[in-house]
Amino acid sequence: MSKNTAIHLKNITKEYPGVVANKNVDFQVNKGEIHALVGENGAGKSTLMKILYGIEQPDEGEILINGEVQVINKVETAINLGIGMVHQEFTLVPSFTAPENIGLGQEPKNSQGLIDWKGLNKLVVDIAEKYGFKVDPGLKMIDASVGVQQRTEILKTLYRNANILILDEPTAVLTPQETDELFTVIRTLVDEGKTVVFITHKLREVMEIADRVTVMRAGEVQGVSETKNTSIAELASQMVGREVFLQVKKDKAKPEEEILNVEDLWVHDARGLLAVKGVSLNIRKGEIVGIAGVEGNGQSELVEALTGLRKTSQGSINYLGENIASSTPKNIRRKKIAHIPEDRTNTGLNTQLSIWENLIGNSYFRKPLSTKGIFNLKKIAQHSNKLKEDFDIRAPNISLKVKSLSGGNQQKVVVARELSEDPVLTIASQPTRGVDIGNIEAIHEQLVQMRDEGGAVLLVSAELDEVMAVADRVGVMYEGQIVKWVNPKEVDQSQMGLYMAGVKD
Amino acid sequence: MEKFSFKDVLVTFAGLVITAFIAWILISATGNNPSEVALYLYEGGFKGTRNIANSLYQATPLILTAVATLISFRVGMFNIGINGSMYVGALYAGWAGYKFTTLGHFTHVTVCILIGMLVGAAWMLLPALLRVYAGVSEIISTIILNFVAVLFVSYMANGPFRADPIAPATPRILETAELKQIFPNSQFNTGFFIAVFVAILAHFVLNKTTFGYELRSGGDGLVGMYPSRFSSYLGIPSDRSAIIGMLISGALGGLAGAIEVLGAVRYFFQELEFNQGFDGILIGILGKLEPIGSIIASLFYGAIKNGGFYVDYKTDVSREIIIVLISILIFFVSAQKIVKGLEKYPLIKKLDKFFSRKKI
Amino acid sequence: MEWIEIFDLSIFRSLLRSTAPIAIVGMAAAICSAAGVLNIGLEGKMLNAAFAGVYASYTFESVWAGFTAGILAGLLTAALFGLLSFTLGADEVLAGLAINIFALAGTTYLMRTIFGQAGFFSDPRIVGFEPISVPFLRGTFLEPFLSDFTYSVYLMFVLAIFLHTVYYRTRLGTAIRATGENPEAAEDAGINTARIKWMVTVFSGILAGISGIFLSLENLTMFTEGMSAGKGYIGLVASSFGNNTPFGTFGASLFFGLGDAIGIRLQGVYELDSRLILMIPYALTVVVLILIGIRQRLRVRPVPISESSIE
Repeated sequence: MSKNTAIHLKNITKEYPGVVANKNVDFQVNKGEIHALVGENGAGKSTLMKILYGIEQPDEGEILINGEVQVINKVETAINLGIGMVHQEFTLVPSFTAPENIGLGQEPKNSQGLIDWKGLNKLVVDIAEKYGFKVDPGLKMIDASVGVQQRTEILKTLYRNANILILDEPTAVLTPQETDELFTVIRTLVDEGKTVVFITHKLREVMEIADRVTVMRAGEVQGVSETKNTSIAELASQMVGREVFLQVKKDKAKPEEEILNVEDLWVHDARGLLAVKGVSLNIRKGEIVGIAGVEGNGQSELVEALTGLRKTSQGSINYLGENIASSTPKNIRRKKIAHIPEDRTNTGLNTQLSIWENLIGNSYFRKPLSTKGIFNLKKIAQHSNKLKEDFDIRAPNISLKVKSLSGGNQQKVVVARELSEDPVLTIASQPTRGVDIGNIEAIHEQLVQMRDEGGAVLLVSAELDEVMAVADRVGVMYEGQIVKWVNPKEVDQSQMGLYMAGVKD
Repeated sequence: MEKFSFKDVLVTFAGLVITAFIAWILISATGNNPSEVALYLYEGGFKGTRNIANSLYQATPLILTAVATLISFRVGMFNIGINGSMYVGALYAGWAGYKFTTLGHFTHVTVCILIGMLVGAAWMLLPALLRVYAGVSEIISTIILNFVAVLFVSYMANGPFRADPIAPATPRILETAELKQIFPNSQFNTGFFIAVFVAILAHFVLNKTTFGYELRSGGDGLVGMYPSRFSSYLGIPSDRSAIIGMLISGALGGLAGAIEVLGAVRYFFQELEFNQGFDGILIGILGKLEPIGSIIASLFYGAIKNGGFYVDYKTDVSREIIIVLISILIFFVSAQKIVKGLEKYPLIKKLDKFFSRKKI
Repeated sequence: MEWIEIFDLSIFRSLLRSTAPIAIVGMAAAICSAAGVLNIGLEGKMLNAAFAGVYASYTFESVWAGFTAGILAGLLTAALFGLLSFTLGADEVLAGLAINIFALAGTTYLMRTIFGQAGFFSDPRIVGFEPISVPFLRGTFLEPFLSDFTYSVYLMFVLAIFLHTVYYRTRLGTAIRATGENPEAAEDAGINTARIKWMVTVFSGILAGISGIFLSLENLTMFTEGMSAGKGYIGLVASSFGNNTPFGTFGASLFFGLGDAIGIRLQGVYELDSRLILMIPYALTVVVLILIGIRQRLRVRPVPISESSIE
């Protein structure tokens, strides 16, 4: 490879217990280009970049920077080689200004040994100007918009003399306008001789900004192309693959009457930005409705709004004729709506408590588990042990603290609790995340069984395979809206990839 | 909090041994005879009816303050202010003890106790509200209120509640308000049984009722875990649990103070000093935040404390050494990494597993 | 009116004297909090230092021996805290609490056992600090205001300025603040947060020790059981109120000092019960806590939506 190659990751293989994150990956980026690295969650892109940045070490393979082999086992080494990375989650000190953050750890000193703030401020403003954007040296990061924060992160890398910038899902947190601003900055960076690697799953953006694109799936490189010679459709099909990995045995659904009707729902996220922008959907008894889409497109907020954990800003959630929008979790549970939350360790469980104490979370107040406020420990033991058996929770006994269980078993506790009280509607969010294959199948079977017994299920998952195999009909969520409803049997995966990338018909 | 695992027992035991060792050195260094001290310690704690009775008497407030503290901890609040509750509870119980002159014995005692508990609970209201509604650390607010309590009570005993112009103390409580002392030359009183009963009741409520479950569902770890998403997700209002937990703790602290005045001291004077609130924190931790464990630890601590008095009386070694040693013990028990580090040894792991197989 | 009786020169001096111990330990608390270490154990450090100071001063009949011993005591106690919290994984609050209990019992025990006295220990052999007459103020109109104080008052000013400079004008200062606010960002920038935490703990131990020494060897030369009387906690509240900055803490400490000084004066004027006067610092603390709570409630910042900064 010539000296024109800024980065060459050669034959990289990296394994974690139970999963091959990168398999014989060959990744090359030319100097001065904008290179997009594309793939779904879990495709291996983050791992690859962690290896490049020194956070992880490859099991096999080598790294060449500017044509020379380098061993990068510390982040410091990567930085010294001119590699800078802007993570998805910013590492900024909130009460510091941009220059304070940028210079952290390496502030310039004046002749008396004190920090030369004036000089630093000027330096930062100059660097920013060179790359075509303005910076307000007096603005604290806590008062700054996300776009400004991100540009500060970029400035940080430039201050440390980065020539290669890795941006990890940079547009995930930006509004369309901020995204345009970012792209302007990137183009200027490249004009000034920098190389940019752009990790994303948004294919529209890839076509807009990138010169070349590498697609990864399941740890391997699926294709490398120049954007001018490819299309979103082609990239989508590479991203999502053509094989169907997962199959769930199930009969045809027999949906009955409608029980949930969501109309034009708008929900804000924790930062005050709109996450759900006018979602409408309905669910009937006897069917599994799936919500597919890459994480971060508003699914979490949608689920939280449906389960009473977040206020709705606009719109209605009609359940059996009653509007339960902005209702409390207690009320919602009373209506026999079960919720398998995406955060099992902090929300779905109290890991300090025992298995049985977690299992009875939604039934402890009822007979026969308790009478007049007093626990009937024998009945509780019976109930818990039966659940343990039915849901195959692997543990020596039910008194064990949940924090000693494996992730998969913990999830089984949550599922067991939620499904055991005959819910009319079950909302399951990322129900098999961190769960091993055997248990994934079991959980899927349980959800299908719920459906067959007349219940209704809303399955929200970033795992496309899961949604396509388990759900009867699927809505694809992108940037707060459902862009398309599909019948999983009638659509192929590459088409799904397009929808997930924001391409409407 | 972890239930008693073998590791914890081992560490506590090791801690005791090392503490004893340090004690040996400390005592010898100040020119005293360690084995003499050890003997008097034992005798003072365990030998003879009078000593045993006194040990149980010492244990009485400890049981209550330990349970009070552990309740707060288990709802997720790091409450260090039980000592304050004890002071105000004692003062007002003492006040009620001489103020109501027309009540029968049982009624009078009950009224005094209830007033003590009420005041103790009220003392915890401000820190609870500050934490729940304004996020202000309950650690600091409860600690400061301890100091306020001491001064306030002292002022009241000297001022508005004063008995006569000369003695800085409240009047003696009426006989109808007394908790009876059973043994002739010991301050052991029926309050002990109240304390044990309350502890057992707490154990029952916390572990075997829906109310207790709701209280601790959001916490139940050592470090203040309030607020908890698990509680909200289940539909249990964790704000309410936190406040109620703090109030109950305060009530138990007030009860401890009330029993001290009604059963032993019988009036409130300016120099009356309570430290059991702080000891209660240490005991609660030693007892792994379980009421039954607290009873056991309190009995042990009470005996040691009484032994300490005896040592103080018989030798030149001052009784504070007991607290010094207990705090060293706490250093050990709290050093989690030591406990975790033990996990490396397979023998320990096996013994651990063996001891943890149990049903509910 | 009576206000003139209350506010005059001596109250100004009383104010500075009362502020100093809180300010010094408050700045110790501020540094720790700035780095994200919740140092409940300042009480214990003060107490240990106060005792060590008295003991050394008595034994060697030298105030500087007392000073050295006090600093050492503070340092060792801080090291113990660091060992328990950082190395052995104990909960910071628990370790701090245990240290305070340990210090209270320990110093009481040592006083009773070594000196054979209970309650308090005072002896003419203990040498204390003498007030200093500041040379360049002599003869100026500022002399009655700012001269002839003992060291702690001057130290308080020096410390505030020194710490402020370190805080905002040195790499160490930014490293400390970053460690406290976002340790990941600090680590990312190459800062060794573990080392920062240790440094901060040790330094605050020394400062708390100094504050303790001044307690027992300055205006009165004696050791009283539990003489720190919660000043360590008040210092924490002062620093929290002052946003964990040197000048903020100094200002907050002034507030407490003012309460103290007015209280002492009121006692003379109105003959109030001494206990109520003693309660003032603590009641003030509760008031400050409530104020902090209100401030926190008002602080919920709406997240700014995008503003373009590209022209």
